[in-house]
Amino acid sequence: MATLRVPPDPAGRRPAAAELWRALTGWSSRLVSGLHQTWRRSLQVRVVTITLVASSLLVGGFAYLIADKITNILVENAETDVLLRLQSGSDYSAKQLSLFSQPQEAQLQDTIDGTVNYLAGGDPQQTSGVVVALTADNYTTIIKPRSSPDVDFQPLISRELRAAVAGGNVAHQIRTGRLTGEGRTKYLVYGSPVPTRFGQVELYYLVPLTRQEATAADARATVVATGVALVLLLGLLAALVTRLVVTPVRLAARTAQRLSAGLLDQRMAVNGEDDLALLAASFNQMATNLQRQILRLEEMSRLQRRFTSDVSHELRTPLTTVRMAADLIFAERDEFDPAVARSAELLQAELDRFEELLTDLLEISRFDAGFAMLDAEPTDLVPVVHRVADRLAGLAERVGVTIELDVPATPVIAEVDPRRVERVLRNLVGNAVEHGESKPVVITLGADDTAVAVTVRDHGVGLKPGEEKLVFNRFWRADPSRARQTGGTGLGLSISLEDARLHGGWLEAWGAPGQGAQFRLTLPARAGDRLTTSPLRLVPADAPLPFGGPRDGGRLAIGPGSGGALAIGPVPGADTERAEARS
Amino acid sequence: MRRRLVGLLCAALLVSAPAGCGIPDSTEVQVDGRGLPAGESGSPNGVRNEPPGRTASGDDPRQFVLNFLAAPAGEPDGAYPRAKKFIAQESQDRLQTKQGSEVALTVVRLRESPVITTNSDSTFSVRLAVQQVGLLRADGTLAPPVATETEYGFTLRYADSSGLENVEPTLYVTNPPNVLLLSDTALRVYYQPRDIYFWNSDQTRLVPDQRYLPLAVPNERRVNEVVRWLIGGPSDWLSPGVTRLPDRTDLINNATGADGRWEVNLAMPGEDAGKLNRLATQLAWSLDWLDGPLDLKIRNQSRRTIDLEKERDANPVYRLTQSAQRFCVYDGAIHPLDFPGEASGSVPVVAEENHHVVSAALNRADDQILAALVVTGADKRLRLRVGTGRDPVNVFNTAPGSYASMDRPVWLRALDKGQPHGLVVADGRLYTFDQSPRLIPVALTVSGRVDAVAAALDGQRIAVIVNGQLYVAAVNLDGGVVTAGPARRLPTSLTDLSAVDWADENKLVAAGSVGRPAVYEVSVDGAAQTVLKADVGARVTHLTAYPTNEVVAQPTNAVMYEANGVSWSDPQFDTIKRTQVQGVESEPPAGQRESNPTAPFFLY
Repeated sequence: MATLRVPPDPAGRRPAAAELWRALTGWSSRLVSGLHQTWRRSLQVRVVTITLVASSLLVGGFAYLIADKITNILVENAETDVLLRLQSGSDYSAKQLSLFSQPQEAQLQDTIDGTVNYLAGGDPQQTSGVVVALTADNYTTIIKPRSSPDVDFQPLISRELRAAVAGGNVAHQIRTGRLTGEGRTKYLVYGSPVPTRFGQVELYYLVPLTRQEATAADARATVVATGVALVLLLGLLAALVTRLVVTPVRLAARTAQRLSAGLLDQRMAVNGEDDLALLAASFNQMATNLQRQILRLEEMSRLQRRFTSDVSHELRTPLTTVRMAADLIFAERDEFDPAVARSAELLQAELDRFEELLTDLLEISRFDAGFAMLDAEPTDLVPVVHRVADRLAGLAERVGVTIELDVPATPVIAEVDPRRVERVLRNLVGNAVEHGESKPVVITLGADDTAVAVTVRDHGVGLKPGEEKLVFNRFWRADPSRARQTGGTGLGLSISLEDARLHGGWLEAWGAPGQGAQFRLTLPARAGDRLTTSPLRLVPADAPLPFGGPRDGGRLAIGPGSGGALAIGPVPGADTERAEARS
Repeated sequence: MRRRLVGLLCAALLVSAPAGCGIPDSTEVQVDGRGLPAGESGSPNGVRNEPPGRTASGDDPRQFVLNFLAAPAGEPDGAYPRAKKFIAQESQDRLQTKQGSEVALTVVRLRESPVITTNSDSTFSVRLAVQQVGLLRADGTLAPPVATETEYGFTLRYADSSGLENVEPTLYVTNPPNVLLLSDTALRVYYQPRDIYFWNSDQTRLVPDQRYLPLAVPNERRVNEVVRWLIGGPSDWLSPGVTRLPDRTDLINNATGADGRWEVNLAMPGEDAGKLNRLATQLAWSLDWLDGPLDLKIRNQSRRTIDLEKERDANPVYRLTQSAQRFCVYDGAIHPLDFPGEASGSVPVVAEENHHVVSAALNRADDQILAALVVTGADKRLRLRVGTGRDPVNVFNTAPGSYASMDRPVWLRALDKGQPHGLVVADGRLYTFDQSPRLIPVALTVSGRVDAVAAALDGQRIAVIVNGQLYVAAVNLDGGVVTAGPARRLPTSLTDLSAVDWADENKLVAAGSVGRPAVYEVSVDGAAQTVLKADVGARVTHLTAYPTNEVVAQPTNAVMYEANGVSWSDPQFDTIKRTQVQGVESEPPAGQRESNPTAPFFLY
């Protein structure tokens, strides 16, 4: 508001005002958002606010009714009072003026003076501010209007009242004005015609409503004070009651938070035997059970991991021996029967797989044990991608799959562990080639300010809905009956996921039956940063919608179409998150 | 967001609600019903006797002058405007308008018809030979005259009617006298004399005070006027003998009446039952034309409802019980007179004392008889014998001192039975006496030879003739001493007055001469005079009357006088024959000259 009044001339002030305005709006928006947050977060605040608002409305309504009633009663009493006085005054005036048959008569003016003085109570000093006035609107030139006390009462008598009284009616009106010089006062103005032999004169009573107003104000103040006190009391009561309920709930929440944070020995204090005590007791029991279970599971998990690790280690030594023996046999296979030679080859191949499996198991157990360490360094990912593609070129060629690369010409630098990234990519591309069904596999590398991403797209059988998550499970198979033919130990994607997590990145899968699948690895450009978006899309651009919706997997927009029909179409520029999962 | 809006709305409602339900600054006009029905409007009640206007006389200058002399008559506030309508524009300044109580009309009696002479410039010169009668004040009193002019002169001119056709020429007064003149005729025609009553100084008796009420005052306002007069106090000349209403007594607004019921609201400091009782009696007699109830309010509190008629019956203005009886002196003794239709009684004086009487005054005071006898002694000088007691009075005391002449004594109507006072004129001086008896001179404010004295029925007013002129005065008997207030001379046409008595509450019968000896009735202020007998034939030496009053009816012929040794009685003014005197033989004893009854008087 203030800025509007700033004159445009002084060049320096406008920015200052704008600054102030900005500060104000900023402050107020902060305040509003703070309030909003408080409203959302605090049950107590909500309950107290609702109680205050509801009781304010109720009490306010009652207060209004009562104050209005009191005021009305006061005014009505005053009116009845004045009307009685007016009637007797009118009778008296009529009697007094009946002595005169012409307005010109000499003593008429004196009689009018005497009458108003008499009706006003004689001594003007002792009256309670009541002004009695006699006017003769029909004889303004002959009879002077008089009042007692002698004040200029004419402005207080409105033209409408004058007309009503002149028409022979007793009428009244409340008017505000200044008569005796102590400021503006409300007056109850009552007028009555007084019949005389020569026509009609008018008698007016102007009664100040000061006392009534003071009483009404008193009553109002009392009602308002009572109402405010009541509302505050109700608010306080609500706050107390809510606090009674909310405090244990908050305690439970805090305890639950601590429990979930791993402090399993946290318990609630149990006071009394009420519902809240029951809640606390149940909570504590639940926590105890959970703790026991978790400890048991942890122990089991630890034992399992230990077992895995131990088994892997224990197997390695005999395996080395077996390996050496098998290598010897494999080398001498040409001297054996073809059948024995074949067995030696099989033995060699299975030992390779066994070794790989052991390596993967050891890797997994390292992750499980939390021993995996990130060795991040600024790395250009372009050569990494090329290297992976080259490594797998042979395999691809064997299964008739072409690997297409879509990498930027410029280096894509990110702080990553190149060994792990390469392992992840090797895994993804290997999988894609394996399931590629002789269709091309596309590797795309993308980057933005905060993240780098690699997608690997194949056009194989794809994934059924829900399998996007399952693919990362250990030893998971899409088709359990299918024998593991190539490489895959069933741990590759699990390890890749752990690697991505170790970077603080995402590894996600998308797939649709018959559409193939796409995996996306997103890593922060700087180690330790938090990811918010990925530079590449998870759902490939060429993936059709199963129900023939808009391409690109965009959202549907429903709006008015031609001819009054509804039109359904893609939302322009809408991003999509269809059937995607992120781990 | 919506919830917050609702909250804001509620808060605003809460804040504004208590402020909204106060007494509003201004409301519409609300009609509570019809007012009182209009009273009967139109013509006023009663006689509206307004003097004729300027144009009523046409171009008759004589009638115009008479109308001019009547013009101020009416309510005092309108006197100047009414008179000024007669006065030409250029001369209006000569008459300075006065307001309120300062309005006073100079009442004059025309000694002869106005002398009107036509001038060459078609104007008229008017000469009025007048006798100053008095000053009629706004309070209705006719005060003694202050002006001494015996002649007024002014001119008349025709109204400028050029340019107007068929307009009867009318007249204007130019160069008028600087006072408002009112002729005694107009006073009689346009005013009504009214008696209002004040209590005497020891508050035992009511004393009438005559006022002039303009006939223009409507009936509704007459009560108001009378009450105002009462509050205003008595006439100046009466004030030594009467009391006013309590100080600071005032009328609150007007006395009003409706349906025969009247209401008088007074402010009366220190009122008590006695004061209220006296005020009630005073009001009852002052409002003697009203019969109905009258609410007497003091400071708006109804204190008494006076039934005026009953109040008058209960408190007669005069303590008279029996009708008057006539007596005369015959052969030195008091004898009753026999008048047809009237009861005559016995002489209330024992026979042993009833001799050598020249004149006598007998008076009733309850069960007592007051007797004062003027007797001759052997030395032919006159003495006063006074006796009081039950009828007949047998104990008399003779006052020391003898006088060459002694007029008829009068009793001041007894205020105090134990201490009656009388007045007598002896050797040209006024004396007072009581039972002791001792003659004590009474000082009058006019010096000269006192010829006669008469006391009014109320005992507070006397009429005296000093140096042949008629005066009235109030007497005060405080402390048992008779003192006379300032004497007021009454202007009459009579000169060389010789005898006087009261004929009414406010009228005197006086004998004097207008060229020839005559008997006139003169009002107590001298404004009105009527001829009772224009030619008596001889100087009246003794005159007595029974005053008309509202208590005991007056006999038909209530004036008796003696002239040239012969007694007469009105209204036919026959002589009182010897045959009417009771207790004497129908035929005089042989050798004795038949004597006449003399010094007739009334016993009441």
